Amino acid sequence: MDWIFLSELAINGALTGLLYSLFAIGLVLIYKASSVPNLAQGGLTMVGAYVVLALSHDAGLPLWLAIPLAAVIMFGLGFGIERVALRRLAGRPVVMILMMTLGLDIFLRGTTLAIWGGTSRSMELGVSYEPFFLGDIFVSRIHLVGAGVAISLFVAFMLFFRSRTGIKLRAIADDYMASWSVGISVERGVGLSWALASVVAVAAGVIWGEIQGVDQALSLLLLKGLTVAVLGGLDSILGAVVAGIILGIIENVGADFLDPLVGGGSRELIVAAVLILTVMIRPHGLFGRHDIERV
Amino acid sequence: MQEKVEAQPILSMNSVEVLYDNVMLAIKGVSVQVPQGEMIALLGSNGAGKSTTLKAISGLLKAERGRVSRGEIKFEGTDITGMLAQNRVDMGICHVIEGRRVFEHLTPDENLTAAAPTGMSRSDLNAEKEKIYNYFPRLAERRNSLSGYLSGGEQQMLAIGRALVTQPKLLMLDEPSLGLAPFLVAEIFGILQKINQDEGMSVLLVEQNALAALEIVSEGYLIENGRVVMNGTAEALKSNSDIQEFYLGGGEGTDFHNVKHYSRRKRWLS
Repeated sequence: MDWIFLSELAINGALTGLLYSLFAIGLVLIYKASSVPNLAQGGLTMVGAYVVLALSHDAGLPLWLAIPLAAVIMFGLGFGIERVALRRLAGRPVVMILMMTLGLDIFLRGTTLAIWGGTSRSMELGVSYEPFFLGDIFVSRIHLVGAGVAISLFVAFMLFFRSRTGIKLRAIADDYMASWSVGISVERGVGLSWALASVVAVAAGVIWGEIQGVDQALSLLLLKGLTVAVLGGLDSILGAVVAGIILGIIENVGADFLDPLVGGGSRELIVAAVLILTVMIRPHGLFGRHDIERV
Repeated sequence: MQEKVEAQPILSMNSVEVLYDNVMLAIKGVSVQVPQGEMIALLGSNGAGKSTTLKAISGLLKAERGRVSRGEIKFEGTDITGMLAQNRVDMGICHVIEGRRVFEHLTPDENLTAAAPTGMSRSDLNAEKEKIYNYFPRLAERRNSLSGYLSGGEQQMLAIGRALVTQPKLLMLDEPSLGLAPFLVAEIFGILQKINQDEGMSVLLVEQNALAALEIVSEGYLIENGRVVMNGTAEALKSNSDIQEFYLGGGEGTDFHNVKHYSRRKRWLS
């Protein structure tokens, strides 16, 4: 066994995993405020990437300006989605809201396809592809950048959820009716969570767009992001980060063992297995909240 | 339309009807007045329409697809009938909903923070919290544990404390005694009375436990089948023979020779 090779696999897996976390944080934000897994997060991420492209490549703005501007636009879009699509569903069965997010995902994919077409475009962040060595281990620079972004967002949101606004969002997730009864605007809270998730989608869209190009395939990140979020416990940001790292490592190391046996393509199988096993064995994930039952 | 400034009740509700889902008539013309600084009780059995009355006042009907289809509700002289729940909380109406419903995954301290009005400064909030912990010392001891694990009595205290943070002028409580041991009911009602006296806060209390409620309120309304069938001072209600029999578990030493053969409930409803 080549330990250096194994640790290289593990470290790169962990970095990729943190990029899944970057995506999953958006899912967790919405789940925390409305207890619904947002199936449109993939679509939002793709839209985020396209908006950055439209501002930088098409409108000619520099990237340092285009990305924050895209974040502002997407923040507004998040609020808009709540206002137009979700407000009338407040208090309805969760499955209705779930179907609505699925519908939104299809809508966002269709819209981007109609506006920007299906050809893959590159983000051109300007991150160097020169090999970068941590000791003897080779890592990708863009993955390192993405992992840094994921960790800073994680810290920012941990702090946010201790602030007064953050506590109100957690209260909304706990009990809509009780929140209304003490004057918390549930609608505005859910809107804020969508707005924040849309900003996270810009970050994820930029990093993933740089790695795999900006096209419809970006929305398929949902599958891995959802797996990470479920493994982490759906409402835990810490869970999303830890689960991302775990899934990344399992996927990378596991695929290296399994691919020669099955002739490639085992990554998706590993992700699927993790999702299915989590739901079967530990439905509330690693850090998810339990429903409290007093005895 | 007489304008009597000095005697204006803080809340007046005039022949209010509530429809759920546009078909079910839950209350059929309820009129209730809460005078400034008084404690008033709404009594009645399950399904009589007491909770619906409170939700009509707090605006929480909307969340259950109900609406006020007739009548008007005035708070400090302003018509609030169609207002959003959160605006009513800003005006000073807070509703402690049935079943405690604390934010279980938040600590008691965070529960109080969550209810703080948007403009409240940090120091005001801390002062408010200290005041609430003084009223409810049990909460202070457990301020940093998860609220879901508090006992039923502590959760009820937290629900009341959480409502107090919103700075209500009118506090409405829906069955605060539900499922609690009698000594806890006495403790909570005692604190409510103290808050009412200390702060001059008006209180509208919905209770099935008429015995406990009539001890602390000045006036009561009896609601049955969505209508007010009787109202009067606590003393008058306590001495009413029908109330004694149906709600206070009284009627002791019934003389079976003189048992009335008509249904007294029916007489109320006509």
